[in-house]
Formats: sequence, structure tokens, C-alpha cells
Amino acid sequence: MSTAILEVDHVTKTFGGLVAVNDVSLTINKQEIFAVIGPNGAGKTTFFNLVTGIYKPDTGHIIFDGEEITGRDPAWIAARGMARTFQNIRLFGSMTAVENVMVARHVHTKTSYVDALLHTPHYRREEKKALDRAMELLAYMQLDHRAQELAKNLPYGEQRRLEIARALALEPKLLLLDEPAAGMNPQETEDLQNRIKGIRDDLGITIVLIEHDMKLVMSISERIAVLDYGKKILEGTPEEVQNDPRVIEAYLGRGAVEGA
Amino acid sequence: MRKLRENPALLSLIIAVSAALFGYWLLRNPSSTLAFLLTLGTLLAAFLQPIPRWLKVLIGGAILLLVLPVAGFKNSFLFELGIQTGIYAAMALGLNVVVGLAGLLDLGYAAFFAVGAYTWAIFGSSQANHFMPWKIFPLPGAYFYLFMLVAVVMAAITGVIIGSPALRLKGDYLAIVTLGLGEMVRVLANNLDHPINITNGPQGITPIQRPPIDWFIAIFDKFGIHMSRVEAYPLFFYLLVLVIIGIVTLVNINLDRSRFGRAWIAIREDEIAARAMGIPLLPTKLLAFATGASFSGAMGALFAAKQLYVSPESFTLIQSIMILVMVILGGMGSIPGAILGAATVTILNVDLLKTASDYLNDLRNAGFTLDLGFFKYNFANLPNQLEPAKYERMVFGLILILMMIYRPEGILPERRHVMEMKEEG
Repeated sequence: MSTAILEVDHVTKTFGGLVAVNDVSLTINKQEIFAVIGPNGAGKTTFFNLVTGIYKPDTGHIIFDGEEITGRDPAWIAARGMARTFQNIRLFGSMTAVENVMVARHVHTKTSYVDALLHTPHYRREEKKALDRAMELLAYMQLDHRAQELAKNLPYGEQRRLEIARALALEPKLLLLDEPAAGMNPQETEDLQNRIKGIRDDLGITIVLIEHDMKLVMSISERIAVLDYGKKILEGTPEEVQNDPRVIEAYLGRGAVEGA
Repeated sequence: MRKLRENPALLSLIIAVSAALFGYWLLRNPSSTLAFLLTLGTLLAAFLQPIPRWLKVLIGGAILLLVLPVAGFKNSFLFELGIQTGIYAAMALGLNVVVGLAGLLDLGYAAFFAVGAYTWAIFGSSQANHFMPWKIFPLPGAYFYLFMLVAVVMAAITGVIIGSPALRLKGDYLAIVTLGLGEMVRVLANNLDHPINITNGPQGITPIQRPPIDWFIAIFDKFGIHMSRVEAYPLFFYLLVLVIIGIVTLVNINLDRSRFGRAWIAIREDEIAARAMGIPLLPTKLLAFATGASFSGAMGALFAAKQLYVSPESFTLIQSIMILVMVILGGMGSIPGAILGAATVTILNVDLLKTASDYLNDLRNAGFTLDLGFFKYNFANLPNQLEPAKYERMVFGLILILMMIYRPEGILPERRHVMEMKEEG
């Protein structure tokens, strides 16, 4: 058995004339913290949408935990242990925080429709389990005091944390975080940084994150891939990426490198 | 009002006294519309206000099981009203699963009602002899209960058949396609009298067997209450409807609080996020569709037995829209809302507008002259077209417009929604 949890093999996705993701190949190892960076519009979120099945790649293959998942339904992929958060927070606004987390327990709650109709003892046990686990995860993300509040009434930073709690409720092997620190203040970002490390260290979950906060990226990632115009221009350790002229060029333009 | 809320003892007393008062009034004057409305209003108040649970049960039980049935014996119209309200309430609860919880706009909901009604109508009358090899139809009335279950299954299957193609669409497109497919069921019922006569076409099917109620009459006989069959049937159907509403409400609450209810709401709120959390889209939507359909199917079978007659005319688009109005009026996703919406629309429809028409007719026939000094009007000149019963749809339109302006979340909004709407407004 290889150490890879996710293998992306020459994946391309175009929208009309625009090549959003261009022949990208990546291998992400088990229990790694991996960052995908790049300027706005580089295809990072499209890359996430391809991996999670929201988009189907035009060409290429995606293998998750030894299983081909190319073109599969997002729900099917999620049930196999891939969870994600969204760049523009996508909580179920009119449900309470704890209900949001319980939604992601759906695939782990072994109750039939008839159980649910009749509220059988088996149903009650399973429901209790789901609730307990949801509360545990809320506590883990320091949100237990918000359990009964509507998701849409939570402050921004807490909504971001609630999204992570919801994703964890899937008991994923791989967690994709799309700009988890966006809109957070430095204190919140630091807390988040420890939390992400904790998720990997305590729960053994592999993490891939898209992030613009370079301080966060450089301090927690073990490896980084840089996307620009849909192409992977570089992959390496934080040190390698930080010192590579191609990265500076991608972010600041060609002139910046020549002038430097 | 706020002061009153803080004093539950006084509040309980007021509600209990008015329940007794209005209930007594209705018993003395079973045909008084005002007494009927006030009694129901008290029932609603007892449900909504923070009074002890035992008192709620006591008042609810007294009104629904004692006052209305006894008054109904003197004025059987009350039974008719109760049964119709019950049938629509159960359907509104079913549509509430589809539209309110899962957020799937279904404009063809009456089709499932038709499927349920025809399921019993065909086999509970001699109609099935036309195409079945054994000439054993109509089936005895006792089969009715079995066929209610068959109707549930048939409606659920129809839901899956209609839903499988339709539910791949969203929003307005889904609404239009369900409208079309719903109409197809009615058109089928209208035309399946040849080459094989299954539905008897536009003439409809009659007479349809009713469940036997000799045991029911016998029970009352023991308590010294003697009823003829004609008297007993309305009471029987009224009580049967109450039982069904109880079951349907319980099922609704149970589903709402299960992983399926949460999955439906998640899909309503954000399909992409729901899928990313492992909820398969089409199966979950189909489940909502089939669940809603099965409620409607059960009530269809009951409707057929109660009416003794079904024809395609009972299952038009207007029916579907009416049930949707009940759900929206009551509050999308809200269980008490669906019941209240059904009661409001049905009572308005079969009672209030007709009563107002009758009242105007009486004035016209009596040649009553309204004389305000500066304004004189002889009601004998009132044109026929001005009957309120003819304005049914306009009245609904007005109510809906007013609702959308002043209370878009419905009369009794889904509880999860309350905070959210208030915050935005």
C-alpha cells in the first residue's frame, strides 16, 4: 500500500475557452499538511471542485485512497472520507449549529426510513450517538456554547470554525480547507493554525488547504504546490517555494523579478 | 398582551372560560357560524399560548371530541367541514415535506390524491369487473383499510415515477414539469375508459364501498346512543380523519427530527454543500417526493369512500394550487402551520364565503332596503355576479398578497425560521 491518499494525474478542466486547470498532477501523502497557493484566478478552487466531484475533469484521473473517483458524485466521494469547507461559507443558514454538524453525520447514522418514522429504540440510540458526536466536535472547535443558535446568526470567524466542525463530522481521511483564514484577525488565524495542526496530529487526518495568508501557509505546510493560470508551476517545501523566482513572478509579475 | 403572557394562571383561566362559553354556545346554536369560529379560535389560542399542557389536551379533546361531534349531530355540515379540513390538512402536511422541508416546488400534488382515490374507487366498486378476470368486485367495504395502505404505496410509486425525471430540474423548471405531469394523471383518468375501461372516463366511478360501521354503531348503542347508518357515517369519517391527522402529524414530526428531515432541509438550504456532506441528491429528493405523495394517496382513498363518487374533475390544477396556498399561508416547513393553513382555506372556502353568499341572497329575496339616509339600496337589485362565493379565487389572491407583504414567513412560521426572518425584517 502506497503512502499516497490522493493522486491527481494530469487533470485538465476548461470552461469554454478558459483553461481553469491545465494538466495538473499532484500526489498528497497520508497525514500530510499540503498547501495549494497561487494568485487569484489561478484555478485553486476549481482544483478543489474537481477533487470533490463537483466538476468532472475533461481529461485525467483522480485516485483517492487507492480508488478511482474521477467523475463520481460528490456525495459518493464524501461518504468515502473526503470532506471540505468552502471559500464563500456554505452553511445551512436556517438550521442550528448542532444541526449543521449532524447533517454530516447522515452517512454514519445507521437508521432506516422506517426507524425514523417510528422513532424506534434503535433510532433513538443512533440519534443520540450522532448528537453526542456533533457536540463533541463543536466543543473541539470551541463552539459548544453556540450549539442551539442558527448558523447564519454566528459571527464570521465562528461560521468558518463551524464549517470545519461540520466537515469533521464526516470522519474524513482527507480534509480540504478552502481559505480557512479568510476574514480572520491575527489572533483568530493563530488559533486556527493550532487547530489545523491539531486535526492532523490528534485525528490523523490529511489536510490540503488553499490559503492566501502566507504566514499561516509557511508555518504549517509540509509541502506546497503553486498554481498559476491553471498550471502547476512549482511544488516543494516552504523554503523552496519562498525562494523561487517563479513564485514571485507569478504573484508580482515578470518585472518584479528582473527589477529585484 | 405581554402582561397576560407573564401571568399563565390568568391566561389559562381566560382560555378555559372562553372555551366553555363558546363551546356551550355552539352546542345551543350548531348552525351559528360565529359560534363555530370562536370555538375554533379558542382551540387555536389554547394551542399557541403558554398554558399548561394538560389544559391544552383537555380543551382540545373537549372541543374536537365532544363539542363538535355533538353539535355535528344537529348540523351535519360541521362534520363535512371537519372531514374536508382534515383531508386537506393531511395533504398540506404531505406537501409541507416536499415544499416546506425539501424546498421542491410541486404544482402537481393533486395527482397523488387522484391515484389514491382511484385506487379504492376502482376496486371498491364494480368498475374493476371491466378489466379484471374475476368478477368479484366491488370488494367488501372492510378492504378499505387495506386499500388505504395500497393507496399509500401506489401514490409513493407514482411519486417516484413522476419525480425521477422531474427532480433533475430545479426551481421554476421543476414547478412547470410537475404541473404538466400532474395534469397528465388527470388526463389519463379522463381517457382511460377505452380501449379498456379502467377509470370510466369523465363519468367517474360510483357507487364506492364504504368501510362497514356496524361495530361502531354497536359501541354507541351500548352507551345508549342510537344512530342510524346515515347519521353514523359522518361521525365515523370525522373520527377516522382525526386519527389519521394524528398519525400523519406524528410521522411528520418524527421525520422532521430525523437524519432524513435534516438532509431535506440541507438540500433546501444549499445543494452543493449538502452533497459535499455526503447527502445523495436525487435519492433524498425522491424520498421527500414519495413521502409527500403517500400522505396524499391515503387521503385520496378516504375521499373516495366518503364521497362515494370520484371523477377526474376533483383533481385539477386548482386543487394542487389550493394545497400549496395552505402550506404557504400556514408557514413553509411548519407543521402546525400546515394544519392551520388547511383549516383556514377550507373553512373560508366551504363555509364563510358560502354563508356570506346565502346571507346576501336572503337579503335579496326579502327585498331588504339599506337606508343610510344619504345612500339607499334595495338588495333586490343586487346582481347575481356579486355573490362572494364567486370571488373565491380573488379572495385567496388578496389574502396571499397581504400575507406576502405583512407576514411572508406564514401565520405560524417554522420555528427554526423565526429568528432568521425577524432579524432580516
